[in-house]
Amino acid sequence: MNQTGCPEVKVPFPVFFTVGIVSLAENLLVVVAVMRSRNLHSPMYCFMCSLAAFNTIASVTKTWENLMIVLADAGHLERRGPPETDLDDVMDSLLCMSFVGSISSFLAIAVDRYITIFHALRYHNIMTMQRTAAILGLIWTSCAVLAVLMVKFFNFKFIMICFIVFFVVSLAAICFLYVYMFMMARIHAKNIAARWGSNMRGALTLTILFGAFVVCWAPFFVHLVIITVCPMNPYCECYRSLFELHVVLMMSHALIDPAIYAFRMAELRHTFRKMLFCSDWKFCL
Amino acid sequence: MDSINPWLLFFFNVMDSSSRFVKLFEMSDFHNRSQVSARRSDYVWQYEYYEDEEPVSFEGLKAHRYSIVIGFWVGLAVFVIFMFFVLTLLTKTGAPHQENPDSGEKRHRPEGCLVDINGHQDDNDKAFSRPLLEGSRSYFNFYISEEDQAHGKQKPEDKRRSAKDKAGRLQRSAEIDEMDEDVEESGGQHQPLSGLTEKSKSDRDRECAFLSHFSIPNFVNLDHGSTLGEDDLLYEPSVILERQSQARNGHCDTH
Repeated sequence: MNQTGCPEVKVPFPVFFTVGIVSLAENLLVVVAVMRSRNLHSPMYCFMCSLAAFNTIASVTKTWENLMIVLADAGHLERRGPPETDLDDVMDSLLCMSFVGSISSFLAIAVDRYITIFHALRYHNIMTMQRTAAILGLIWTSCAVLAVLMVKFFNFKFIMICFIVFFVVSLAAICFLYVYMFMMARIHAKNIAARWGSNMRGALTLTILFGAFVVCWAPFFVHLVIITVCPMNPYCECYRSLFELHVVLMMSHALIDPAIYAFRMAELRHTFRKMLFCSDWKFCL
Repeated sequence: MDSINPWLLFFFNVMDSSSRFVKLFEMSDFHNRSQVSARRSDYVWQYEYYEDEEPVSFEGLKAHRYSIVIGFWVGLAVFVIFMFFVLTLLTKTGAPHQENPDSGEKRHRPEGCLVDINGHQDDNDKAFSRPLLEGSRSYFNFYISEEDQAHGKQKPEDKRRSAKDKAGRLQRSAEIDEMDEDVEESGGQHQPLSGLTEKSKSDRDRECAFLSHFSIPNFVNLDHGSTLGEDDLLYEPSVILERQSQARNGHCDTH
């Protein structure tokens, strides 16, 4: 390899482990809280629970993979044995599934919020729990199928293009929905003597929501694009050398997701407090 | 050298890269292996690192090696900051008009607040392209005509049926529109309404403005044809606010 090339940037294992375990803990907390607490059984919380579940799967898979790499480096695992490669395929499928699932969950949350605002009075008729369950079932099965297909047939360029197109379209849809809602909210809020501070905070919230999504996901997807478009270009090579950093970014999105979506809901925070600090669970929940 | 399909290798790098388990293996084994006998087997061949083909030459680069990386991150930062400024600009367009003398016209018309508008009859669907205030005023006009026409319909049932929905909607709207912690903490159920009720007389027009403005999301639906003429939705805000304001006077009654 050329000395003047871009050396691959390595991220130490402890970083991966920390990010993975902390995000696992947070998301598991959200999933358990939504499932156990009866007054969190509404469509909005179900979608957040689904997002947290996908993030949990991603964290578990990534952490497990790191563990296997550490073991393989230490010589305890056979790198090329069939069990390891099959396991590797399974892990890749799970990762793909959780990535596509997270994006679908974001889209579902954005659509749910949109319906809440623009079809508010018919919300309970439009978004019944049966429909929510159907939507979630659809998301989970399609993600599973997609993941298996992608790993089995990674040879085909078409699959990767689909992946990238899916990401870009979802991004555009989410961006549009939120900006539209925000604009409507401003028109509405300015006539209830909304404070300047709260307007700024709304803008900041939206920027954080969307900004975090873009900052964490875009580098990996640009990596995919670069792999397709300019594999031999030295500039692209230097971009690819930062791959591990981009993976850490993606994992850290699973870490900050609960902070952006779930922990902002007062109801959910209240449930956490009851769960974690309440001695008598039966009474508390 | 085997004629390896380059696309296959490149694609593999994607999935390969997504699994550091295999990639690290390749990186460490690449230098050790001089033989490529393993390539014959499809199974192993799949895991060939793409660099086996041809190392990328770094000679004669005109720009900095990391220029794509830098360009990408700068572009991303600019995008996020631009989005933030656009959002705050949308906010700013609203803020100076919060103190807009709606109250200036409070005494002028017998019908009260609903006709307090400059007579703009703008295109409703162009509301987003114009400053927010003008757009919202055009909504006023639309609602006045609608409410005047449909004024005689069953309000009492709407009152009962929709008051609860409206409160719920306000709560949800408050939760989600603001996305503010303080609004959420307060439960938001009656916050927007109680915020209105404690206003002085001079604010009543603003309250009436709220009444009309509050229908805007529904208005948008009507405009885009996404809901069928749900006339009852037009009454929702008036219903609840009427109850609030009836205690003082029927100033904001929809006549």
